[in-house]
This record gives sequence, C-alpha cells and structure tokens, in this order.
Amino acid sequence: MKRKRPLMRSGGDRMVVGIKDTMKLIGILVIAGCAVFVCTLFLNYNVDLAARKGEILTQAGMAMYQAQVSTGKVVAAVSGGCLALTSVVMLLFYIKNYIDTHSKELGILKALGYSSLKIAKRFWVFGLSVFVGCVLGYVLAFLYLPSFYALQNAEHLFPEIKVQFHLSLAFLLIGVPAMVFSVLAVLYACLRLRRPVLDLLREKREHKTKVPRRETRDKPFLKALAGSTIRERKALVFFVAFSAFCFSAMVQMSMSMKDLSSRTMAVMMITIGLILAFMTLFLSLSSVVKGNTKTIAMMRVFGYRYRDCSRAVLGGYRPISYIGFAVGTVYQYVLLKMMVEIVFADVDNMPEYGFDLKMCAVTFVLFILAYELVMYGYSQRIRRLSLKSVMLE
Amino acid sequence: MISISDIVKSYGNAGNKNQVLKGISLQITDGDFVVLLGASGSGKSTFLNVISGLERPDSGSVVYGTNDITKLTDEKLTQFRRDNIGFIFQQYYLLPNMTVEKNVRMGADLAGNRAYREMINAVGLEEKTGKYPSELSGGEQQRVSVARALAKKPKVLFLDEPTGALDEQTGRQVLDHISGLHKEYGFTMVMVTHNQNIAEMANTVVKMNSGKIAEISVNETQKTAYEIGW
Repeated sequence: MKRKRPLMRSGGDRMVVGIKDTMKLIGILVIAGCAVFVCTLFLNYNVDLAARKGEILTQAGMAMYQAQVSTGKVVAAVSGGCLALTSVVMLLFYIKNYIDTHSKELGILKALGYSSLKIAKRFWVFGLSVFVGCVLGYVLAFLYLPSFYALQNAEHLFPEIKVQFHLSLAFLLIGVPAMVFSVLAVLYACLRLRRPVLDLLREKREHKTKVPRRETRDKPFLKALAGSTIRERKALVFFVAFSAFCFSAMVQMSMSMKDLSSRTMAVMMITIGLILAFMTLFLSLSSVVKGNTKTIAMMRVFGYRYRDCSRAVLGGYRPISYIGFAVGTVYQYVLLKMMVEIVFADVDNMPEYGFDLKMCAVTFVLFILAYELVMYGYSQRIRRLSLKSVMLE
Repeated sequence: MISISDIVKSYGNAGNKNQVLKGISLQITDGDFVVLLGASGSGKSTFLNVISGLERPDSGSVVYGTNDITKLTDEKLTQFRRDNIGFIFQQYYLLPNMTVEKNVRMGADLAGNRAYREMINAVGLEEKTGKYPSELSGGEQQRVSVARALAKKPKVLFLDEPTGALDEQTGRQVLDHISGLHKEYGFTMVMVTHNQNIAEMANTVVKMNSGKIAEISVNETQKTAYEIGW
C-alpha cells in the first residue's frame, strides 16, 4: 500500500510541503511555460522592433510595424492573461486539495502549536513550479526567436532585426510570476488553514446545512451524485471548460492562421493548444476520479455497474466541455476578426476573414472523438479500482 | 439457504503466500442471524468478503439457493450484489458530499424503493435528512448506513464490526435498530465481531481461529441489545 510521506521531519521546522510536491504541479508548470513562451516571442520581438523603428522608412513598413506591435500587445495580454489566470485557479485548487487531503496531519501540527502562518509559509515552494515553467518557456522561446523574427519580417518591410536579450523582460516574465505565485500560495494556504483544529483533525468538510428544495430532494441518487460531484469541485468545471476552450480556439485559429499568417505560426498555435487542452483535461479528470475513489468503491459494493459509476462521476462534465468549445469558437472568431479588420486594417494584401463553418464542424467532431476517447480511458481506470485496496485505506 | 464449501483464500505471491481461509464450510439458513466471532487476524472479515461476493476465493463454492457466486462474471456478480446483498461497515463509508437522504437513496434507488423515508424514520433520523455525514455523530452515521443498506431491501445483510467505532450506549442503540429491523423484515444477517457479548443476540455463533471454524454453536434464546454485556 502506498504510504504518505511524513509531514514533519525530525527537526520539526521542515514541515508540510517539500520540493517534491511542487513536481506534482506539472499542469501549472506547462501552462506557465506556454504563457511565457508566447509572451516572450511577441514582447521580445516588440522591444527589438521598436529599437529599429526609426529605420522604417516606407508607409507599408510603418503600417506593418503598427499592426505587429499591436498584435504583440494583444496576444501577450490575452494569451498571457488567460493562461496566468488558469495557472492561478490551478494553484488555488491544488492548495485546497492538498490541505483537504492532509487535513488530519495539518490539524496535528496546529494542535501542537504551529500557527497557520508558520505552516502556510512552506507553501511558497509552489512558486518553484511556476519558476521552472517560466524558465523553460523563456528558454524555448529564445531558441525559437530567430525563426520567429524571420517569419515576422518575411516581406522584408523592416531592416534586419537581431534577437537581443532584455534582462528587464526576463525578470518580468520569470522572476515576477514566481514571486507572485509564491506569495499567493502562502496567503491562500494561510486562509485555508484558518479553521478550528478539531475540524482539521476530523477532516470535516465545509458544508452548509440547508433544507433541500422539493425538486432536489426528488432527484434520483445518480443524478444527485453527478450534480454534487460538479458542485464539490467547481475549479474542475473551469478546467474542463478551459480545456475544451483551448482545443476549440487554438485548433480553429491555427487553421485560419495558416492563411492569415504562416504555416509555422499555425503549427505553433495548434501544438500549444493541444498540449494545454489535453494536459488540463487529464489533470481535471484524474482529480475527479481520485477524489471519488471511495464513492465509486461503495457504489460497486452496493451493486452499481461500472457504467453507472462512470456516468455519475464523469458524465456531468460533458455539457460543460461543450460550453467551453462554444466559447472558444466565439473567442477565436472575434479575436481574428478584430485583428484583421482593426489591427491589420492598413496592411496591404490581407486576405478576407470570415467564419469557417466547415472548419468549426470538423474541429467539433475531432473534439468529441478526443474527449470521448479520454473519457473511455478514465472509465477503464474506474473499472480497475480494487474494492479491497480502497476499503483498506 | 447459503451453502459454503471448502473456501480457501490466500494473499501474497508464490514465495510469500499467506493462507487466510483454510477450507471453510458452513450452511446459513434463510432468516438466520449468524455471528462470526474471532480474534483479529482469524480470517472472519475475509470470510465475510468472500461469502458476500466482494472477493473471490482461490477455491471452494458459495451457493445462494442454486446460484454459485464464485462462478459468476464480474458483471453478474455486481448484479447479484445489487439484487441480494446489503452491507454495513465499521467505518460507515457514507458519501461525504451527500446528505443523509441522498446516502439512503443510494441503496433505495437500486431496489426502486420509493418509500425510503420510512427507513430513515425507522432509524430515528427523520430530523436529519438534510444533514451531511460530517454534521452527524458516529452513532447517527452508522444509523444512516443501516438505513442505506436496508433501503435496498437486501435478502442478506452483511455487517463488518458495525459497532467497532462506537461507544457502548450508541453501539447498543445501533444494534437495537438492526435487530428490530431484522425481526420486521426477516432478512438473513451475517455479522463479524470480536465482541463475545454481541454473539448472544445471534441464532448461530461461528467461532473462527487461524482461518478455520473452531466451533459452531446455536443460541436457544437470543438476548436484546440492552440485555447483553459490553
């Protein structure tokens, strides 16, 4: 049987979370990496391009300059902002989950006299995963920058732009996120730990008693379980929707980018989109299955079939993923329309951009296939759960 | 009638095999209240898991009427548990994010039992239907698990140390509810316990030792939960 790592070592001061725990935050690492990768490409390019602004003499060159600088800002703000927000939600979710699953041990520490803040201080290490992700994203972006510069200046409207290293930008994209996430982790952990010691020791969940409404009361068990699985882990709703959003937006956008920009740009976008989509979906569904292991085991003991368990635990996320897909479709359409009609309005030879219904349908079919395949994988995981091992925990 | 023949069950691999059940045979009559008594490690919980269809034996048979459950596929065994078996565990295993009512419906829905509230009333929890398990005492939680198990109208109820985590007074209350419902509904009941006093409530007492049945005794008269010692 898998044993939990002891929370407090002999010294007593090195307690709760350690460096190894940060490696579990692979999702944040990847998302932070993608965010920094995209932001580094566009912002570094913007800074280097701005340094050569005075040497741009043609009107077409100036129009392209304005368009590219605006694009860089928009992409960095929107992609970076979206991904940073997702990382924040993921971090908070992980910390909440960590505290919930280690509630008893944390309760013991508090009972022994450790303050919430003293325990929470150890959570700063979660900032490390953001740091590692940011460094990876930055290094990868730097390796790709020469090709990106050449791509951006394919029409030779600007003088040759060389890749320069900007310390302030590196600090902004690596140091600042790592520090902000570390502080955020400590503050949030401190907030979550401010519960009575007995509640922590008894692993008491924060439920508000309420008299159920008639329609809720009459809901069959399986439907009620599907609803409560979703309500209990609201952050996962966000992640599943985000995963579908990434798939939808990035795949459709990359297909349009192939015509509007270049094939390389399209490949880069689709790669980032698929990594984000699948990484988030895998992490979310793993959390769902792990968090419901005992429920599934009890359902199996009572005679519920595997498909009933899968449907109740995983099925509720399907409509959420469709909503995420729809939002992603609208998002990519509005963003590209804005870019083509506003940002690149003065640039010559820009192709027309309209909503591609066929592409949307193909992406949707691909999404359903991929999503159902992943769901099938997790249903099999539910099937492999051993009743005895779960009950012996 | 449950006919159990030559049950052998081991854990571990070939080099380090631990035989927990060593050829156990037993007959359980319908409506009987059987207590499996034994010290820790005597194999009573493993025996309960095997005869209830939660675990498969290495050899031997467990026949309910004419149906040998050791020969059933996983799907058929699930269906069998669904139709016939109820469970009550020492650790309750209630679903933490579901109210009392929904926990009971977990069992009731399997049997299409629309009158599940009667079972909640029968264990005296009608005022607590909207509460979550974390808001209940240990005794109340165990009563929910009793209601949940019986709401699915099982033909056989298996109980693994149902009072093991309760104090004397609460333990007596829970046992009183269970034996009252046993008399009312007439299901077969198999209970694992290490408390010799509880055995006085049963019709049949099976004493186990080192994976074997050491003794089977029949009680001519059964005591109530408030008559036994603790």
